Amino acid sequence: MRDVPMWRRYLRFWRPDVDSDVDDELRFHLEMRERDYAARGMSPAEARRAAAERFGDVARIGGELRAHDHRRERTRHRRDSMSDFLQDLRYGARGLARTPGFTAVAVLTLALGIGATTAIFSVVNAVLLRPLPYPDADRVAMVWMDNRRMGMSEDIHSWPNYADYRDQNRVFSALAAYTPAGYNVTGGCLEGECEPQRVAAAASTANLFAVLGVAPRVGRAYSAAEETEGQDAVALISHGLWTRQFGADPAMVGRTIRLNGRERTVIGVMPRGFAFPTAETDVWVPLALPDDFRQARNSFALYAVGRLRPGVTLERAQAEMSAIAKRLETQYPTLRDLGVNLVALPEQIVGKSLRTALWIMLGAVGAVLLIGCANVANLLLSRAAVREREVGVRLALGASRGRLVRQLLTESVLLAAVGGALGVALAWAGLRLLIGLAPADVPRLDEVRIDGLVLAVTSAVALATGIVFGLVPALQASRPELAEALRDGRGGTASRRGHRLRRLLAAGQVALVVVLLTGAGLLIRSFVQLQQVRLGFRPDHLLTMQLSLPGAKYQTPQQRIAFFERVVERVRALPGVQGVGAISDVFLSKTPNSTNFTIEGRAPTPDQQNVEVPLDGVTPDYFRVMGIELKSGRTFTAQDGADAPRVVIVNENMARKFWPGEEAVGKRFRYGDGSGGADGPPWMTIVGVVGDMRRTGYEAPVRYETFLPYPQRAASRMTLVVRTRGEPTALAPAVRAEVRGVDADLPVYEVKSMDELLSAMVAQRRFSMALLGTFAGLALLLGVVGVYGVTSYLVAQRTREVGLRLALGAPPRALVAMVVRQGMVVAAAGIAVGIVGALLVTRLMSGLLYEVSPRDLGTLLGVAAVLALATFAANYVPARRAARVDPLVALRDE
Amino acid sequence: MSTDSKDLLQGTLAILVLKALLGGPAHGYGVARWIEATTGDVLRIEEGSLYPALRRVEDRGWVTSEWGLSENNRRARFYSITPAGRAHLRDEAASWMRYASAVTRVLRAEPRLA
Repeated sequence: MRDVPMWRRYLRFWRPDVDSDVDDELRFHLEMRERDYAARGMSPAEARRAAAERFGDVARIGGELRAHDHRRERTRHRRDSMSDFLQDLRYGARGLARTPGFTAVAVLTLALGIGATTAIFSVVNAVLLRPLPYPDADRVAMVWMDNRRMGMSEDIHSWPNYADYRDQNRVFSALAAYTPAGYNVTGGCLEGECEPQRVAAAASTANLFAVLGVAPRVGRAYSAAEETEGQDAVALISHGLWTRQFGADPAMVGRTIRLNGRERTVIGVMPRGFAFPTAETDVWVPLALPDDFRQARNSFALYAVGRLRPGVTLERAQAEMSAIAKRLETQYPTLRDLGVNLVALPEQIVGKSLRTALWIMLGAVGAVLLIGCANVANLLLSRAAVREREVGVRLALGASRGRLVRQLLTESVLLAAVGGALGVALAWAGLRLLIGLAPADVPRLDEVRIDGLVLAVTSAVALATGIVFGLVPALQASRPELAEALRDGRGGTASRRGHRLRRLLAAGQVALVVVLLTGAGLLIRSFVQLQQVRLGFRPDHLLTMQLSLPGAKYQTPQQRIAFFERVVERVRALPGVQGVGAISDVFLSKTPNSTNFTIEGRAPTPDQQNVEVPLDGVTPDYFRVMGIELKSGRTFTAQDGADAPRVVIVNENMARKFWPGEEAVGKRFRYGDGSGGADGPPWMTIVGVVGDMRRTGYEAPVRYETFLPYPQRAASRMTLVVRTRGEPTALAPAVRAEVRGVDADLPVYEVKSMDELLSAMVAQRRFSMALLGTFAGLALLLGVVGVYGVTSYLVAQRTREVGLRLALGAPPRALVAMVVRQGMVVAAAGIAVGIVGALLVTRLMSGLLYEVSPRDLGTLLGVAAVLALATFAANYVPARRAARVDPLVALRDE
Repeated sequence: MSTDSKDLLQGTLAILVLKALLGGPAHGYGVARWIEATTGDVLRIEEGSLYPALRRVEDRGWVTSEWGLSENNRRARFYSITPAGRAHLRDEAASWMRYASAVTRVLRAEPRLA
């Protein structure tokens, strides 16, 4: 664009007044014409009339000209501002290029801040903001059993309960039930046999797809008629399994695959992104329950999910479902204290603690960015001080303050823009690292990317940043007093105000650092507390893996027992193996299948109804291998066979609860509600009591546990636990080979060391802790640099004073003390404000903490101490340097 | 007035204005007076229409304007022709001449009988 010539700029000092200019011009014309006519001898009145007539319609032409001139003035103004802006930009760029050190530090600081903000925001965007791939996903809700007896608000249903909820409610347009499953997939491949695969699956009612509003991309969904045993030999597969296992074969529909050895026809492929109930689910089959299960009101094994009818709110649905639950409670005494709890699907998928953690991370990076901004603002202030003379000259020459502020702001926005561009590049690189380190159980992490929204937000943040850190220095630098300050050579009052501003910035930085460090400190303390939890077993040197025996090949318990006997025997013989055991699940999910039980010689009590008792078959060596303590009685032996007397081992927690003050060993109980009489489940004698183990991970309370000898409960899916002498995973191939040696077709999956399993349980916590810790560390670094910078600057400004005092005999130590004291007043104010801020903010974190109060005194004191030390160092170093100046040099300075 | 003749008039006005300014900067009234004197007031243009015409030639960059003092010490807006204006006038004048001489030739020709 063409530059507006310089003289045009000066025109603006006179500000053209378009309307009166037009009037003047026309009046001049008319009067001149009038005068000419009068000179020819017309009377004044005649002359005026003739002039007007000769001119035409004065009002119309005047209006036309005014409109035209206004329009032209606006265009000219726009062009001038654009040209001003370009000029400012060039001026700013030249200025920044002249001070590469300043520019590099400022741009890097901003790039770090903006980059971190961009990265975290793109995660927030993908995980929290972007809608789920189901139409109106917020209208879908999980329907849980609210188990007040066990304090579990997300428990699962029995079929009769589900059916009652489904038939009696008027708030859901469809209510589906499902249960997760796992299958060995074989067959179905085009050429020969493919590798057997272990997949996660779900058995669901046919209306699940109506609830989620998703149809198969090819083929059809199953129908309600297929929810019957014998009619249910059909399956839907995921887009992932279809491409991975079957090469995206277009003729997949209609082909037969075997799931756990049972043949099923593939009737459809689900679209990409369909990830219900979990992202890993690859197969869906009709939920064909046996009749006795459909009658069993106390067998809880079903999840329920529904779509709200149009216009029905979640609250109203909750109220109506609770009313149904109330009715069921009165109708069936065993359902006492079992309510219903609705959770909207988006909240369900991204849990509350993850939500909180992500928002807190975003807040934390925002704070880091602000601290960085304060540093850049400080640098700009120092730069402005250097430029005071130049600015003063321009003000004296009549440049307007607004114009100068705009020019200085252009420079800071330019800095922010360059920082932002570099920041996006950093974020792009950092995101891969972030996602690589993130725990696997963060949903939708694969959808994280820097998209249009993220870029738009980043641009807005960069612009805002430029204005935030640029505005105050710009206003400060263009003070009208500067023009006068020129005369005296230095601006006394004005720089004092500048000093106040710097101290304010430094205090603000310190306060933000305190808040961040406190947050990070609380997470670290929680994590340490978590590590102190006694798990109840020895987790080192343990290798675990899952085995699942297909029903078609291992039909009888005898076959399964024989299989595990051979596997245990062969693995135990491996060099490097100390022992091997097996159990159905080492760790329990939050909602295990549960049952009730009856104690011999006692009337059934509600306590014994629907107690979450896992039914675990274990091999004799299991407890020894795990390092679980035997408290009394004995563990299982080879004599506890399938036909031997029924025996059971319970954990201490259960023994204490149900046989308080008695010896549990020797007592008998059986599963079921006792209604079966002599034909009911067999009585079992307690032969041992073992120590409590945290079966649901670190954070959940210890549960009740019952263990049966494997031959008396020969489940088909088992976890093999191997205690090794050396590194556990090193032994994995050998163990795998032994299993293959017994059954070559059996997939061995989830081969992990116990350390890996445990570490996955706290992965989200560790990740939050590491991330917040990193941000807090970055904040501390930037904050200390900021305080250091301010003190250095203030001290440098006072070189003459310091020199004078030294010359007058003040001991250097006293000078150091004076400077440090002044700096520490600022720091102390910052720390105090920061502690108040931390107390306000950490309340939001309580859901992320474990056994640590959000107002933990130790953490606050520790943080305050760290900052006191850091700011002391940041003040001491420049103070020391100042006190070492040669008084003569200092006095001659200036 | 039809659109054609209006366009024609506007184009003509532009030429008249430019030509008037060739002699040096002048205010609007000066332009009007020059045209009046030069044409013997044959055209008798409505003087008000000069001003929109001046704005138009100014917008095209053929003329610039500036406030100054008139011969009788009044504040007046003076217009001066730019080099671009001179060039335009030259082109327009040439085509006017060609057009006018063609029309003149036609009018002077002997009517030829078929």
